[in-house]
Amino acid sequence: MAQDSVDLSCDYQFWMQKLSVWDQASTLETQQDTCLHVAQFQEFLRKMYEALKEMDSNTVIERFPTIGQLLAKACWNPFILAYDESQKILIWCLCCLINKEPQNSGQSKLNSWIQGVLSHILSALRFDKEVALFTQGLGYAPIDYYPGLLKNMVLSLASELRENHLNGFNTQRRMAPERVASLSRVCVPLITLTDVDPLVEALLICHGREPQEILQPEFFEAVNEAILLKKISLPMSAVVCLWLRHLPSLEKAMLHLFEKLISSERNCLRRIECFIKDSSLPQAACHPAIFRVVDEMFRCALLETDGALEIIATIQVFTQCFVEALEKASKQLRFALKTYFPYTSPSLAMVLLQDPQDIPRGHWLQTLKHISELLREAVEDQTHGSCGGPFESWFLFIHFGGWAEMVAEQLLMSAAEPPTALLWLLAFYYGPRDGRQQRAQTMMAYVMATCRHGDLQPCGQRRSPVPTEVARDETLPAHSPAKRRPFFPKVI
Amino acid sequence: MESLLQHLDRFSELLAVSSTTYVSTWDPATVRRALQWARYLRHIHRRFGRHGPIRTALERRLHNQWRQEGGFGRGPVPGLANFQALGHCDVLLSLRLLENRALGDAARYHLVQQLFPGPGVRDADEETLQESLARLARRRSAVHMLRFNGYRENPNLQEDSLMKTQAELLLERLQEVGKAEAERPARFLSSLWERLPQNNFLKVIAVALLQPPLSRRPQEELEPGIHKSPGEGSQVLVHWLLGNSEVFAAFCRALPAGLLTLVTSRHPALSPVYLGLLTDWGQRLHYDLQKGIWVETESQDVPWEELHNRFQSLCQAPPPLKDKVLTALETCKAQDGDFEVPGLSIWTDLLLALRSGAFRKRQVLGLSAGLSSV
Repeated sequence: MAQDSVDLSCDYQFWMQKLSVWDQASTLETQQDTCLHVAQFQEFLRKMYEALKEMDSNTVIERFPTIGQLLAKACWNPFILAYDESQKILIWCLCCLINKEPQNSGQSKLNSWIQGVLSHILSALRFDKEVALFTQGLGYAPIDYYPGLLKNMVLSLASELRENHLNGFNTQRRMAPERVASLSRVCVPLITLTDVDPLVEALLICHGREPQEILQPEFFEAVNEAILLKKISLPMSAVVCLWLRHLPSLEKAMLHLFEKLISSERNCLRRIECFIKDSSLPQAACHPAIFRVVDEMFRCALLETDGALEIIATIQVFTQCFVEALEKASKQLRFALKTYFPYTSPSLAMVLLQDPQDIPRGHWLQTLKHISELLREAVEDQTHGSCGGPFESWFLFIHFGGWAEMVAEQLLMSAAEPPTALLWLLAFYYGPRDGRQQRAQTMMAYVMATCRHGDLQPCGQRRSPVPTEVARDETLPAHSPAKRRPFFPKVI
Repeated sequence: MESLLQHLDRFSELLAVSSTTYVSTWDPATVRRALQWARYLRHIHRRFGRHGPIRTALERRLHNQWRQEGGFGRGPVPGLANFQALGHCDVLLSLRLLENRALGDAARYHLVQQLFPGPGVRDADEETLQESLARLARRRSAVHMLRFNGYRENPNLQEDSLMKTQAELLLERLQEVGKAEAERPARFLSSLWERLPQNNFLKVIAVALLQPPLSRRPQEELEPGIHKSPGEGSQVLVHWLLGNSEVFAAFCRALPAGLLTLVTSRHPALSPVYLGLLTDWGQRLHYDLQKGIWVETESQDVPWEELHNRFQSLCQAPPPLKDKVLTALETCKAQDGDFEVPGLSIWTDLLLALRSGAFRKRQVLGLSAGLSSV
């Protein structure tokens, strides 16, 4: 407790200074600085309130003699008033200062002064005198018309931005970049106020003809934060624009997803799918630039964790969601496959992108052999360094969990001698780094194992596998990556 | 039902009193009761806002009150603006009490405790008073920031957001007045004309006359009714303008040519009077032989340039109006003697100026040199 109050005093000094510098936040620098600190200031206010509510009015004044000044300065800064719940917390703090029974004129004056500040927060900020007179004359109070006024202003600004976007070359009606930048700054504290959504959307979607980015990074960060915390709801096109214009936001969105996956305790596939769909990333990834960044992050994660099965599972679920989103995306926005998968041959990518469910059972073997062929070609016949080598091929292949499953099912179902192509695929799936010899050995081991066990479990009983010993061979992982049921019999 | 209506009456009285010094007699219990009443009415609004008979009854009662006050806006303190205002009557009351310096210390303390109980007080279905007040404060600073950091007055007044909002309010109010039959809307407008800054009022009228027709959407009935049908309101305005020549003269004088052309195209009933005014203005000018230009007889007369501007703008309007204007000009020219030589009849000169202006325009646009309509 004592440490808390020391911290509070330190913070107090810091914020008092800041507020004095910011004043009414009328310059670019003060606005930017305020935007950077609004969230922290709100936290400070909360702590302050927690401390103040325990004391009575006189104690408060003794403890923080300049508290009135601090609160008043905060109230005069519209950026602070506009942010999230700051105006509420400021009011609570002010209420702590009110004297229930003022004993002397000093206390009365304080009460009166507080009333003035409360009024300011709630009723002041009058602008055009004529507008005020007009509305009053009609018999309206501000509460009656402020929502409508805000709505009109927002819509008007949004349509101005859109016009600017479409008529960029018509210099007469162009919106000056400073004005657009200024609007983006103003939106930072207002991001969670739903009235402002059309303006935020317009700012994201419409960009003028300037070659460099006009919008403030604080704006992008604030929007991204609000999207990740579900405090704002924007159409997909606006979210895509955000991620395309501001790479850190996209990265943060991915990291947010990873965090959710890591922090939640047992992740079943359904949950993973939920998290992924929730993040809007699969839809956004229909845009190749976004897909590439996302894929790159998956690639890094995979390499860092040395092929962790959870990452592979996530990639597979993501790809599934992505393919679904791609199908739903409008025909006009179709990009060439090469833009999504630049390191592989288009034919391979196209084959892999098919939905395994769409292929009739009779054709499975054919399709799998084809895939095996293409992959083998990419892996074995290419020299290292070109097209990313075997890792890229493997990385591509593991995106699509359905194929490995199909291979396993095919192998398990048929009693006949397993085709080399399928064995190769499976061996490749589990051991991408194996040399040709090692892989050949693995394939042989499987053949031997199946011959030795004789009759394999028929399909219907696959759910209760024969308990076998776990292989010490590191090329055969102990359990399947994607589904809980093991589909590759354990081999001694 | 009757008790509900009486409740409404009591509350309106309460609201009126809340801005006066009478509140100095209030103690904390009174404050609490007042807020409870407000909360009750707000609840009523929520529950019965869509319920035809109850809503109508409440509205009628409100209109009665206005009638007794002699028309709203006239009394020292306005009451509830309309039925929608019931939805935030607690905010209205709270703000009035908060700003009233006459409220005693104990009562004020209690008021503040009631309004801002602190965190953790949440109402499942309704927004608490605390939330409403916070949201109002937030919206006000939003408007303030947008006003001073991004807003620019739109040269097309009818698209300017401040103007639009005022126009919407005016139309809404006219509709209420029409329903209340408290006074004929014309009388209401005349009283506004006397009380309000006239220049702004004229602009608002023009913008109101140009609002696009919107149909009332059912889900907006519970919200401050911004999207009412402007059709009836416009008719009332047109009627009033036509009935008050001095207002209409000021209207035509004060507003820019382009705006007037738009208004007249949209409301053809105004065009004969507008043209009449223009001809009157034209006749006041006389030709100064020495300077070779048309000059005003008296200082407050409309100068040539402005007259020309207006006619030029009218000639750029779409057909029905444009043809009317040209016909009027031709008629005046004929009446004056049908001269072709400049300097004798202002109408001749105007037509000449308009034609040459049009000719130059066609040249600039790369069109043929034929003088067709003008």
